[in-house]
Amino acid sequence: MSLTRGERVFMALNVLFFLILMAVMIYPFWYMIMGSISDSSLTADGGLFLLPAGFSISAYKVVFQNVSILSGFKVTIVTTALGTFIGTFCSAAMAYPLSKKRLVGSKFLSLLVLFTMLFSGGMIPSYLLVKQLHLIDTYWAMVLPATMSAWNIFVMIGFFRGIPDEVEEAAKIDGGNDLMVFFRIVLPLSKPVLSTVGLFIAVGYWNDFFSSVLYATDKNMWQLQMVLKDLISNTSAAITQAGISIGVQQEVNPFTVKMASIIVSSLPILVVYPFLQKHFVKGAMIGSIKG
Amino acid sequence: MEQQVERLVTQLERRPAAAIRKALIRDKYLYLLLLPGLLLILLFRYVPMYGVVISFQDYNMYKGIGGSEWVGLYQFERLFRSPDFTEVLTNTIVISLYKLAASFSLPIILSLLLNELKSIVFKRFAQSIIYLPHFISWVIFSGIIITFLNPVDGMVNVIIRHFGGAPIDFLGDVRYFRSVIVLSDVYKEVGWGTIIYLAAIAGVNADLYEAARIDGANKLRQMWHVTLPAIRPVIIILVILSLANILEAGFQQIFLLYNALVYDVADIIDTYVYRVGIQGADYSYATAAGLFKSAVAMVLILTVNKIVKLTGQDGLW
Repeated sequence: MSLTRGERVFMALNVLFFLILMAVMIYPFWYMIMGSISDSSLTADGGLFLLPAGFSISAYKVVFQNVSILSGFKVTIVTTALGTFIGTFCSAAMAYPLSKKRLVGSKFLSLLVLFTMLFSGGMIPSYLLVKQLHLIDTYWAMVLPATMSAWNIFVMIGFFRGIPDEVEEAAKIDGGNDLMVFFRIVLPLSKPVLSTVGLFIAVGYWNDFFSSVLYATDKNMWQLQMVLKDLISNTSAAITQAGISIGVQQEVNPFTVKMASIIVSSLPILVVYPFLQKHFVKGAMIGSIKG
Repeated sequence: MEQQVERLVTQLERRPAAAIRKALIRDKYLYLLLLPGLLLILLFRYVPMYGVVISFQDYNMYKGIGGSEWVGLYQFERLFRSPDFTEVLTNTIVISLYKLAASFSLPIILSLLLNELKSIVFKRFAQSIIYLPHFISWVIFSGIIITFLNPVDGMVNVIIRHFGGAPIDFLGDVRYFRSVIVLSDVYKEVGWGTIIYLAAIAGVNADLYEAARIDGANKLRQMWHVTLPAIRPVIIILVILSLANILEAGFQQIFLLYNALVYDVADIIDTYVYRVGIQGADYSYATAAGLFKSAVAMVLILTVNKIVKLTGQDGLW
């Protein structure tokens, strides 16, 4: 059926709408990139719309010489790696037995997991617990409280239920026990769900700053996002911080440094995003209606 | 396997203790696998749940839960008498409702429009771009907002001044703060919100559109009479779900954007708990506020699930 005139007009307007929307969504990132490579003396008075004002990479020099940003990177990389590994592994190891109806007590244990979605102790009791465990200012304080989420476990249970029993039975007939079945058969078959859940956990850790607010009194234990938060509200202090030569200091201003640090810390996600987008979308769809 | 299970079930009915022991031994490796995750959940989810008892105490850090004095409902009385808390509760609900209204309508409209894009490549590309802000942390995003809205040299105010207006301190003015919160949340999450609707729209029978067109329905009428009714169950569930989360007004976002100038309109339960509890070290009182929130949330979720089931749809569990 050929298109009516009204439909053609609608489609043209629709494409136009999305072009504008995309521009609006991209603009802040574009603005920050341009801001970060601008010459500091020219950025004042908002002299920056589409193209950089002058050109200078001194802001990036300041960022990479900034001791707190480097230590923030270290803390965040360590917590993200640890948290993603522990979180993904423990969720899978827990979901697999719970996916077996024959397991005595699986119903009770599932309810135990489900209840954590309904009720939580809240901020203060969690804080007091971490404090009493003497985890303040350790990596574990930023990793352990957030590793397990009921949602991830239920997504995995759903996936494991979909693996045909015959596959596991064949392995058992060959003399494997449940541990071997899990590690050699089930985990390799579960790469889609492991990567989806793992990605969500990883983004959570990468973007986390509140664990530092609560559990880090030592600035050297701050996560990247926390360093950034501090920097955004207090840029000039970061510039004068030890380790940055006076010469470089004169070439930059708080604005360009702020932009450069934002770019540097969001770069990892922006770089991997196009490759991982389909996993993210899959994850959002699995989780959005039923856990 | 099936027979084994059946045999076990009959054994369970006949000789419970022995059969259970047998099952425990048979599945010992499965229990071993469960253990690390279970321990983490018990320690970091259930111990804090037990910790809420300090809201019935006058908690003293050095004496611990065992040694602190029990004060009954004193902390809750303080809470409900406090004008601060009334204000905080109002703010939480108001901000939440604004966000709900926006996040209910806009992603639906956007997914209807996305669905009409004929070029698959362009559609994919557009989606990738509008999902993007979802993955940027609130720290970075609030940095962007603060930069753009800065009263002195922020781009928005530069434009306002260019057209002869007076610069506006969006983040320091009680009249604008909530709008900034709601709009920035829409900007960050609207694209992500379309995912589930797009999945639902993809499941609509294409013949229905063809039939509607033959009956002379234009695009708008097709959306209204075919697409919307088809995705109604998804819409209902998502709205009900967000109603259950009415006391979650977006802690991180507000924590990063607010300041003392706008506490009156911006302070929500979570930020209040943080300031009174962690910064003010009034642990018992802040825990009472937190417990109030958790309890209301739980009641809401259970009620909502019940309602969803009564309407004949699959509940959340």
